[in-house]
Amino acid sequence: MKSCLPAISFSLKTCLLAGLLSLAACDKKPEPTPAPAAKPAASSSAQPKLKIAVVPKGTTHEYWKSIHAGAKKAEKELGNIEITFRGPEKEDDREQQIALMENLISAKYDAIVLAPLDENALVAPTKQAMAAKIPVVIMDSGLKATPGTDYISFVATDNENGGKLAGRRMGELLGGKGKVLLLRYIEGSASTALRENGFASAAKEAGLTLIDPKRYAGATRASAQEAAENLLAANGDVVGIFCPNESTTFGMMLALKARGMNGKVRFIGFDSSKETVDAMAAGDINALVVQSPIRMGYLAVKAAADQLAGKKVETRIDTGVTLISKDTMNTPESKELLSPDLKALLGN
Amino acid sequence: MPHARTWLRILAPLLGVFIVAMIFVIAAPAHPLTALDLRTIAVQTVIVATVACGMTLVIISGGLDLSVGSSLALATVVTASILNSDSLIHASPLTRSLIAIFAAVGTGLICGIYNGLLITKLKIAPFIVTLGTLGFFRGVAKWISDSSPIQTDPSGLDLWVRPATTFAWTPVAPAVWVMLLLAIGIAVLLKFSILGRQTIAIGSNEEAARRCAVPIDRVKLIIYAIAGSLVGLAGLAQFARLGGSGDPTVQVGLELKAVAAVVIGGASLAGGSGSIVGTIAGAVLMAMLDNRCTALGWPNYVQEIVVGHIIIGAVALDRWRARRHAG
Repeated sequence: MKSCLPAISFSLKTCLLAGLLSLAACDKKPEPTPAPAAKPAASSSAQPKLKIAVVPKGTTHEYWKSIHAGAKKAEKELGNIEITFRGPEKEDDREQQIALMENLISAKYDAIVLAPLDENALVAPTKQAMAAKIPVVIMDSGLKATPGTDYISFVATDNENGGKLAGRRMGELLGGKGKVLLLRYIEGSASTALRENGFASAAKEAGLTLIDPKRYAGATRASAQEAAENLLAANGDVVGIFCPNESTTFGMMLALKARGMNGKVRFIGFDSSKETVDAMAAGDINALVVQSPIRMGYLAVKAAADQLAGKKVETRIDTGVTLISKDTMNTPESKELLSPDLKALLGN
Repeated sequence: MPHARTWLRILAPLLGVFIVAMIFVIAAPAHPLTALDLRTIAVQTVIVATVACGMTLVIISGGLDLSVGSSLALATVVTASILNSDSLIHASPLTRSLIAIFAAVGTGLICGIYNGLLITKLKIAPFIVTLGTLGFFRGVAKWISDSSPIQTDPSGLDLWVRPATTFAWTPVAPAVWVMLLLAIGIAVLLKFSILGRQTIAIGSNEEAARRCAVPIDRVKLIIYAIAGSLVGLAGLAQFARLGGSGDPTVQVGLELKAVAAVVIGGASLAGGSGSIVGTIAGAVLMAMLDNRCTALGWPNYVQEIVVGHIIIGAVALDRWRARRHAG
């Protein structure tokens, strides 16, 4: 048996080598250059495309696919850039995201657009990239660093305002009194913490009694469902509920349905997916605060491209929030926010 | 009939859970343990307990299965994608449910057999093999699902895993009964069957078992296959709990919860001993702590600080008891 091992390993190596070579060959396939191809390579028109990496917090949520679609839109429109979309597959794997940033730096990307999983943990890799002359644009969630020097620009929803919109609407729905419950998302996530705090302050201002046991739902729909079940068991008398993102909204929706409480308590969620939009149509969810992830992906990539082109980039770019309820969900503007045609935008 | 004392020894872990529950009730009278709390705890125990029953067998045989979280995710993904196929999408709920059971348990079984074959044929330590398949199964799950959750109609299976009462004939979710029946089955298998004895023999001293002509490889393969099937079934419960969703990223870290349940229940990681009653108690204990800490309004970090030491304390108590018995 042993005698054939070298032969096997040799043939394996050959295969691998052949595979790598063919990959490399694919990479180097020349771009179909327009008319005067005889010009020397140094001219600006024949420059290789700028490689921009887009790093989301995760790849499974619908939300990140919208970001991807927006980035693609910018790629098509600008023409001189090439997008790589890559992120940790589980939303709380900080380690994976840090490692990814390090790999992008060593792979010498021209720019990075990052949605940091953690406002502190990603500061060091961001500074490393900037030190390596790779501009970093932060999107979606904040980073505890100085915009303009530690990173180029912060392109995001005004999350606190989104939470406040939800809090004010909750006040209207409940006539300014009653117990409202807050299910928090995950420790250390800046964007959701701002929504949670925005909701808390607006709800209190509206005269509501806030129940905020500081329970965190964890990263997945399954963990959110368990947390929601326990919270509802402990606080069966709440009349209003707010959840700060898609997975918590979905988990809470399942828990409410299982208890037969859907449609009976006022429920406002954040972000949208097909399931939560259907639930809003059915009356199980009163309102969803939505961001414009497509716009965010688009503007973030554009900011990175502008920086590379030497244009001036604002250090804070707001991408807007909208509160959509059952009566407004069928307007064309809402539809574009709630159920964009991602397949068409992503081109698959 | 076993002696009363023997019964007490077998049921001691459940007594431990009861005592912890009482401590919470007495220390925080403002937050009584309601029927809904109990139902919630019961249903949240199902997945971990089902997986942990299989893990108990594996650990008793001196092995370990780190791949359970990944094979569970794979089972949910396979189930959802099969149910979404053109021929099944409009099938009757009963047909769909039956197919879901076969798909989920079948996936788990295949994963278990794969682990078993690698361990017995390649003679590699279970820790290494299942560390490898932990990545492999998760990767396949992401590949099949294109890294996104696959949503399909749960065909009534979701009613089996709700904390609220949905059927008049049972005070707890039906899945809890399924889990308990399986647990009894595994306990009987372990205690009274030849396979059970052989499992304990292998875990106590593999070399001695080999000399006594125990078919070690075959026994191990069967154990990993059983454990895998149980993971598959837990995957079905997860699929149902998510309202008919195959989620490739679900239950990362399940292996640690399952091992914790088994160890809290008095099993030795060195193999040779362990009890199904103990494992169930361990799983219940963890779900209960989650529920009680929420009821008391403790933030997650307090819970993590407390639960960490409850696990250590439970095992310390068990070892102390065992030493007293021996001495």
